[in-house]
Amino acid sequence: MTQSVNCRLTARLGRAVAGAGLVLALCTRVPVAMAVDWGDDFQVHGFATQGFVETTDNRFFGDSDDGSFNFTELGINVSYRATPSLLLAGQLLSRSAGDMYDGSPTVDFAVADWTVSSDQESGYGIKLGRIKNPLGFYNETRDVAFTRPSIFLPQVIYFDAVRNLLLSSDGAHVYGRYSTDFGTWSFDVGAGITRLDENVEFTFLGNDFNGELEPRGLSPVARIAFETPDAAWRFALSGASTTMKFDNEPGDPIGGGEVDILYGVASAQYTAERWSLTAEYMQQPVEYDGFGPLLDGRDRTIEGYYLQGSYMLRNDLELIARYSAGFGDRTDRDGSESSAATFGTIPRHVFYQKDWMLGLRWDVTPSFMLRAEYQWNDGTGTLSRRENPSLSTTVRNWEMFSLLGSYRF
Amino acid sequence: MRKSPHSGVVRGIAWSVLLWLASLPALAEQALVAHAGAGVEQLSLNTTRLMFSMQLERWPDGNAVRVFVLPDNHPVHRDFSKDRLKLYPRQLRRVWDRQLYSGTGQAPETVADEAAMRKAVAETPGAIGYLSREMIDDTVRELQIDR
Repeated sequence: MTQSVNCRLTARLGRAVAGAGLVLALCTRVPVAMAVDWGDDFQVHGFATQGFVETTDNRFFGDSDDGSFNFTELGINVSYRATPSLLLAGQLLSRSAGDMYDGSPTVDFAVADWTVSSDQESGYGIKLGRIKNPLGFYNETRDVAFTRPSIFLPQVIYFDAVRNLLLSSDGAHVYGRYSTDFGTWSFDVGAGITRLDENVEFTFLGNDFNGELEPRGLSPVARIAFETPDAAWRFALSGASTTMKFDNEPGDPIGGGEVDILYGVASAQYTAERWSLTAEYMQQPVEYDGFGPLLDGRDRTIEGYYLQGSYMLRNDLELIARYSAGFGDRTDRDGSESSAATFGTIPRHVFYQKDWMLGLRWDVTPSFMLRAEYQWNDGTGTLSRRENPSLSTTVRNWEMFSLLGSYRF
Repeated sequence: MRKSPHSGVVRGIAWSVLLWLASLPALAEQALVAHAGAGVEQLSLNTTRLMFSMQLERWPDGNAVRVFVLPDNHPVHRDFSKDRLKLYPRQLRRVWDRQLYSGTGQAPETVADEAAMRKAVAETPGAIGYLSREMIDDTVRELQIDR
């Protein structure tokens, strides 16, 4: 008994040391790379983030009920301004996140951005390549810890369980800005092929079947935003739509069919010198067609929102608090009908999540940051089905403590 | 009531303190500076903001803009952002990060201190930056910001 506890402690300590070692190794090696003179128009940047998650129950980013270090984000970002009007930029990302992502490097984006015209009144341009989808305030830079308001983005809108569905697409965008005396309007509209993975299949079909879920046709995406001249108020409306086709294979209990998803977010933010308030509201109608009785009746509108406040205690110390709520079906917010449809085998709390979060961010230096957060949850709606295969045994009221260290250059 | 023999001295000190206080804002003032070859004497506030937020890549004469900044926590950076650009340093940082990490822009070049800033602006054609008044000499050109 004592021995097994000791073993577990040793294993956890080992992981802690490994995690810290990784961050340290990156911190010490990075300046060497920076010392290389790449020329004025060529820039290399990067980031390394290590997280720790401990939950009272349920699994979030690995074996969090035992304390998990299975949350690492490494990115390398290169850009080259070929002419004042042409920017070439790309980012490689390795992301380990529990059972959901194993850290294999992916091309996060690779963009050729041509500024067609730009002056103090207006500007517009074209982007081609793998482009991050401009959704909400945070999607485009969601894996860069320094740009997030907290260790994890509010899961009710920026689901980590299905992040790839809306992360980026391979295609083309047109963007522009227009200044008036009252503020600046901007837009970004495009279309491309969505990148899907098994996490999307788990979430929308309930399992990783033999058949493949693939994007069908081009997915449009758009954002329109407004910002006051002092950048105090920001507003945005953004949306995307995607159709996924599932070809069933022998052994699959469901037929071949299509899933149509629409995703819309309204965002607002006010920033004062020491404090800020942010709110976002999301609706996502999902329609199933052709799968047969198991899925076709599950058309629904997913809903999520949050209100978040931050206050700078010192120039390097920020306090953050957030309330968020998300519902698997906005017409069934307590999950009772959804649960009844499974004859009670899946409890109500699986179909929603409401949580409070309190956190602290310390900018030790402009390029090194530490964060600590605590979250109280009612419901398990945002948990990954892949990490929690047995939904009926998830615990309704659970708490989460997390730590994060991030370095950038 | 008798006047204190020291009242003259007290008044003198009070005036000195007042004058010193009044002179503080002028000493602390930051100015916009550019490479000596910049073809303009002034920029609008909007243009200046667009340049520092890395969204305007060319000078009115078509040359490429090169932006230099001090570290986010440097007092001169904080004062220049707040008093001249009317933006908080974290708003600037947010814009730079959003563009850099989505592939739609580059980060400005960060220099360690004001001496390095003056040298970089003086030696880089198309450069724009900022300095406290006492650091400005004839190696760089001071630009006015038009409201």
